[in-house]
Amino acid sequence: MSDTKQRTEAPVEEAIPGETEGEQDINVRIDSLRKVFQDNEKGEVVAVDGISIDVHRDEFLVLVGPSGCGKTTTLRSVAGLETPTDGRIIIENEDVTGLDPRERDISMVFQNYALYPHKKVRENLSFPLEVRSYPKDEIDSRVEHTAELLDIPELLERKPSALSGGQQQRVALGRAIVREPAVFLMDEPLSNLDAKLRVQMRTELNDLHKRVGKTTIYVTHDQAEAMTLGDRVAVMNNGDVTVRKEGNGHVAESDVFEIGLSSDLAADVEEWDGDLDDLTLGLRPEDIHDVEMANELVEETNTFDAYVRLIEPMGSDKFLTLTPTDAAAADAGGEFSARISPDSPIEEDEVVTLVANTEKLHLFDNRTGENVSF
Amino acid sequence: MSTEENYDRISYETRQRFWNVIEGPMVVHLVLAFTVLLILVPIGWMAITSFKGAQGAFIAGYLPAEFTFDPYERVLIENNYWRSVVNSIVISTTTTFLVLLFSVPAGYAFSRFRFPFDNAIFIGVIFSRLFPPIGIIIPYFQGIAALNLINTVPGIIIAQVYLWLPLMIYIMRNFFISIPEEIDESALVDGCTQFQAFRRIVLPLAMPGIASVGILTFLYSWREFLFSFMISSTTASKPISVAVFDFVGEVNVSWEMISAAGVVAIIPTVLVVIFFQQYIVTGLPSGALKGS
Repeated sequence: MSDTKQRTEAPVEEAIPGETEGEQDINVRIDSLRKVFQDNEKGEVVAVDGISIDVHRDEFLVLVGPSGCGKTTTLRSVAGLETPTDGRIIIENEDVTGLDPRERDISMVFQNYALYPHKKVRENLSFPLEVRSYPKDEIDSRVEHTAELLDIPELLERKPSALSGGQQQRVALGRAIVREPAVFLMDEPLSNLDAKLRVQMRTELNDLHKRVGKTTIYVTHDQAEAMTLGDRVAVMNNGDVTVRKEGNGHVAESDVFEIGLSSDLAADVEEWDGDLDDLTLGLRPEDIHDVEMANELVEETNTFDAYVRLIEPMGSDKFLTLTPTDAAAADAGGEFSARISPDSPIEEDEVVTLVANTEKLHLFDNRTGENVSF
Repeated sequence: MSTEENYDRISYETRQRFWNVIEGPMVVHLVLAFTVLLILVPIGWMAITSFKGAQGAFIAGYLPAEFTFDPYERVLIENNYWRSVVNSIVISTTTTFLVLLFSVPAGYAFSRFRFPFDNAIFIGVIFSRLFPPIGIIIPYFQGIAALNLINTVPGIIIAQVYLWLPLMIYIMRNFFISIPEEIDESALVDGCTQFQAFRRIVLPLAMPGIASVGILTFLYSWREFLFSFMISSTTASKPISVAVFDFVGEVNVSWEMISAAGVVAIIPTVLVVIFFQQYIVTGLPSGALKGS
């Protein structure tokens, strides 16, 4: 339990501009960004409600959250594709809020790649340079270099329609990095790939970021992606944001991996004086195990069944994406993840029994969102 | 029990065999051949009639008794029908050019931008094509008269643009909608202005739709009769569709001359279809008419 306390006190940064960081450290500042859409049926829809995030130079910041939480709107505002209702976007110490995308030093990878179908891969890569009137030999050398970097030189003379999804993805990445802008923006770039390719591209993205080393803002709804890619992770919900300082591979427990409170596990909760319905139980993925592989943990109350939607083998672990079998829990929590031993024989599309490490269990007060583990 | 199952299986197999035959290549080709015949026979008959000569046209019999180009000569030269051919070419190409000039940017704007009263304006555009054109032909005639454009080619061109522009804006808009907006946005991020993104990225992608709209406008204005008929009665201004009607006289209808004029009238249409069939076949279903 002492472990829990320590984690609760882990720094939670509310990202108030200029409070902790030196000015020169900040590459992109999103300042009190607010975006309201006019919807014909629903009236005013608040997509982003006054969020502030500072993105450090050369950092890989992941914006994660459920669909409709405003993460894509935030990214598009940074790109200049949306005009904020309120607030400012500052890139490289310059207020770019009212500027066109072309006047900002950014590039963007879209969810569906948005390659130009009538242009060859080479022309797709060279387009951002041609528009900006780079000299011919500079264009050639940059295109060649980018193609080498992404391992696609043999695809240069092909049209996008002749490429596989993964190859199109690489070209889209290439088009983003060929100009070497100050900031890369990525809007769920891996979500159109199949699970296996997604894991592979994730690794390559990590690698690419290490080599290119530019500020990157990356939007995803995939928790595993957020965990493996982000230097920092910003969790968005209902147009609000919390930036978690924990880097690479560790997300603060309070936000992402929440499952509904099952009555079995609640038996452990004795000191709670409020209503049990006000509690949300949280477990980090690594604290959920295959029951076969972790016999020593099994007690009377800490096993539960779940349906395995997806397995992503990561070498040292297997990442499971699961849905609760309990209907009420499924309604409440939807989907959660577990990180289990790679030797586990669990397969996709089956219901398995898992065991939770109750030592590492976290409880959250729904009313305040606070971690109230005892 | 077992007989029941047997019966079911037999009826199932019978139905399968029946539909296999119906969907088989023989039947499909028969239906196609019949349809083509239905379309080609009148055209063929017109072509044959045009070579029969003034008397021959009324004699029972399939092939011309004596083969003659006489009707063509009389139609084109003596009746100055060649002048109408020229008029029609001028009217249709100009109309096509003008309709493209307006419908492509308008369709793009309607597909991409939100502006005050955008939906109302778009509905207005469509609405103008919903009532029968004959309903507005009197005010239209008066308008053209006020502009002093009766019996002129520009007067007819204005009518044609008015008639086909709304439909073509609609088709262009739907075609642009089928091009994902991320493509434009990608171009903006890559450094284009809004206009550059349109010209360098979206326009080339919209070529099949533009070709369809161009072909349709050309064909529609080539065959349009009502408005042209109201506006022009002089040889100098009337297009083919109106000129053909001249051969319907008060006392007699000269079949062979109408036929010759008809053959001349459909030649450009056939040429357009042959040369652009690729766009007509692929362009329309793949974008223009899909996803509305």
